[in-house]
Amino acid sequence: MSGYALTVNGRRRTVESPDPDLPLLWVLRDLLGLTGTKYGCGVGICGACTVHVDGKAMRSCQVPVSSLAGHAVTTIEGLSKDGAHPCQRAWLEEDVAQCGYCQPGMIMTCAAFFGGAGAPGSRPTQEGIEAALSEHVCRCGTYGRMRKAVARLVGAPGIVR
Amino acid sequence: MSTSRREFLRTTAVGGVALTALRVPIFALNAPPEAATRFAPNQWVRIDPSGKVTLVVARSEMGQGVRTSLAMILADELGADWKAVAIEQASPSAEYADMNTGGSDSVDSGWKPLRTAGAAAREMLVEAAARGWGVPASECRAEGGAVVHPASKKRAAFGALVAVAAGLPVPKEPRIKPREEFTLIGTRVPRIDGPDIVTGRAVYGLDTRIPGMLFAAVARCSVAGGKLVRFDPAAATAVPGVVRVVAIEDGVAVLARNTHAALKGRDALRVEWNEGANARLTTAELHRRLDDASSRPGRVSRRVGDAAAALAGSASRLTATYRDAFQAHASVEPGNSIARFENGRCEIWSPTQNPQRVQREAAKLLALPPEKVTVHVTLLGGGFGRRLAADYAVEAAEVAKAAGAGVPVQVVWSRADDFQRDFLHPPSRVDCAAGLDAKGGLLAWTHRETTFHLSMFGPFSDEADDPDVDPWGGYDNPYAAPALTVEHLTIESPVRTGAWRSVFYPPNTFARESFLDELAHATQRDPLELRLALLPPGTSFPWVTRAVSRDRLRAVVELAAGKAGWGSPVPKRGGRRVGRGLACNAYHGRTVIAQVAEVSVGSAGDVAVHRVVTAGDCGQVVNRAGLEGQIESGVLWGLTYALKSEVTFAGGRVEQTTYTDFPVMRLAETPEIEIHAIDSDRPPSGLGEQPVPCVAPAVANAIFAATGKRVRRVPIRPADLV
Repeated sequence: MSGYALTVNGRRRTVESPDPDLPLLWVLRDLLGLTGTKYGCGVGICGACTVHVDGKAMRSCQVPVSSLAGHAVTTIEGLSKDGAHPCQRAWLEEDVAQCGYCQPGMIMTCAAFFGGAGAPGSRPTQEGIEAALSEHVCRCGTYGRMRKAVARLVGAPGIVR
Repeated sequence: MSTSRREFLRTTAVGGVALTALRVPIFALNAPPEAATRFAPNQWVRIDPSGKVTLVVARSEMGQGVRTSLAMILADELGADWKAVAIEQASPSAEYADMNTGGSDSVDSGWKPLRTAGAAAREMLVEAAARGWGVPASECRAEGGAVVHPASKKRAAFGALVAVAAGLPVPKEPRIKPREEFTLIGTRVPRIDGPDIVTGRAVYGLDTRIPGMLFAAVARCSVAGGKLVRFDPAAATAVPGVVRVVAIEDGVAVLARNTHAALKGRDALRVEWNEGANARLTTAELHRRLDDASSRPGRVSRRVGDAAAALAGSASRLTATYRDAFQAHASVEPGNSIARFENGRCEIWSPTQNPQRVQREAAKLLALPPEKVTVHVTLLGGGFGRRLAADYAVEAAEVAKAAGAGVPVQVVWSRADDFQRDFLHPPSRVDCAAGLDAKGGLLAWTHRETTFHLSMFGPFSDEADDPDVDPWGGYDNPYAAPALTVEHLTIESPVRTGAWRSVFYPPNTFARESFLDELAHATQRDPLELRLALLPPGTSFPWVTRAVSRDRLRAVVELAAGKAGWGSPVPKRGGRRVGRGLACNAYHGRTVIAQVAEVSVGSAGDVAVHRVVTAGDCGQVVNRAGLEGQIESGVLWGLTYALKSEVTFAGGRVEQTTYTDFPVMRLAETPEIEIHAIDSDRPPSGLGEQPVPCVAPAVANAIFAATGKRVRRVPIRPADLV
């Protein structure tokens, strides 16, 4: 059993894992109780487990715990206080979710375009965000409303990273 | 639910006390303090002195929006303040007769009882206020979480009326609001779980956490019917984090401190299986069984005139065979449940569409009376019919029992497990024939479906077909053919099969609506014009004992065609071939849907769907936002079925393991979806499954319009179109 130090949602955490390859997904869900990050496929395809590592959207099922020293992880729970992030608000305004299971991952991918890593001042585009969200699976088919939520975000003044 | 007025009344009634005279005093004297301060006139509504309104939802939320729509029905009748409403998910008990969430039936079957329950609570609150004010109840009304007396401008919040209302008799036949008085029903209300979903607080089955729980992955034979011969746990127990390996009936469970270790341990197990009779089963063999059975006599479920004689005597005949494929549900939340077994009781947390079945089957497995099994229904990360089966919940109970008393165990299925243990939509073969007179007029139509039984609902029996309704989409052929025979044969499925969003409608509607299109083109008629000609105004067609007005179907066909610009040039898409296709369907004689798809086909046979226009009449709309969501969702589901996914078998195994070999629609491929709902005052008739069946034929008909190629098999592959 080894201890791994990592920063999750601004808090320094140490987790004991018997396995250096334990994916961040299960560190969050099973060791830290942060279940907003979902398991969907475990092979980096569905996108349900997307979190930010240093502001960049990553599939947490593909990130081993041993690689996280010195990196900051943000999950859906830490994206904002009480759902105030523009992406969360846009999602609610367009009533995007159906079953909702895949949505935290979608929101994290979208949110990485706003305030995440990347060239400061560059304006995220509808096409760029849609291309990233097309790498996610939503079996309920909420894509149409998601487009509208993204349109709100790219059209909204002041949301420039 | 804690002690309530209702429970008190029931207990008293059993004791034989004259209720009417003694009701209030006895209640006031004998009720526990908690009951006196809480108003719970029935199993659906509870109001605290604080004014908090708790509405109970007894159907499972899987994205179709029942926690919002059913609560809206209650809240509207009650006159509650929607912002002050909290939802509680019911667990199986004698109070909730049917919690099975399937058949797009929740709003339909809840419509009357929930309105009655809400209205009864409202009348008691109004009566309580009126008594306090010394005014007639008829002069008061409930709105926004309060009772008001407009004449005197008096207002009392629900919370302040709880104590008095709790002492009043529950009216059996309260006044139900007329449509004009609805304040919530028919409006656009955002999903009540939305804020929890976007912040990650929403708790699905897989997110449930019980202190001290272990995580389990189960090895099972991936060939249907395979049996466990022997296993060696050594390699599994060597995986860091694995706690224990236990054998269960035809499976081996690996228990661990985290999910990853459980899955890794399970994969490390050495297990010997007896794969049994299905070890060589392939997709081709399964389809061959359908083909072989297609010439055997089936059960005739509908007969108009003598179609065989009319076909024999017709000037020309048209025949076509349509097929679809095995399909998985592929909900993003895989199968999972938690169970804890202790002191002759079992507690289960499960994302299930059928908690009563979970309770029944777990009780049977554990040899417990059903009331010793408590089932908590979590949110469901998709359902689509898959979660009507109790398998993974019962599996959790079995593993928990093997793990030992008091240890909560969460059984987690991997994505691959979820595909391999799915109850798949089975393929159908549908044979259609039509006889035409010398002028191309329709004389006779025959529709014959051959398919597999749904093992989710039990073992095969020759009586599996229901002659009253099978096949869905064939039996209820809406078109006025002078002679019509509809026939159906179900054969035993060697693999797991089950209910899948809209069940048997997709293959039969695909066949029927494609065949109508073929008839139109064969006789040089416009597909819209031929449909309308075969749906004569003022006539009806049968669905069991109900006569279904063809006018309702005409209305949506005309609406969809009009909005889609039927007959106008299809917008050009570069050098691609473009076309428009139409289909319509009456789902169980109630919700009617018509769809027009606009597609383009590239030179490589690649199909893009640009626009789908849906017109529908599902009776009274409860939540406008929900209606649109279900149609958007149904269109995407139908497009995945039409163009993308298929489950195949090799060596008796499902070959698909994830979303690359079972592709589903993605955002980039999503068409513009346009929705037109007919404002109806008929009772609600469901919309979860109803938008699905027309999508595939509308797309296939559009492809024909674009390319002149008729596709008779879904999913449609580019190779079919070059």
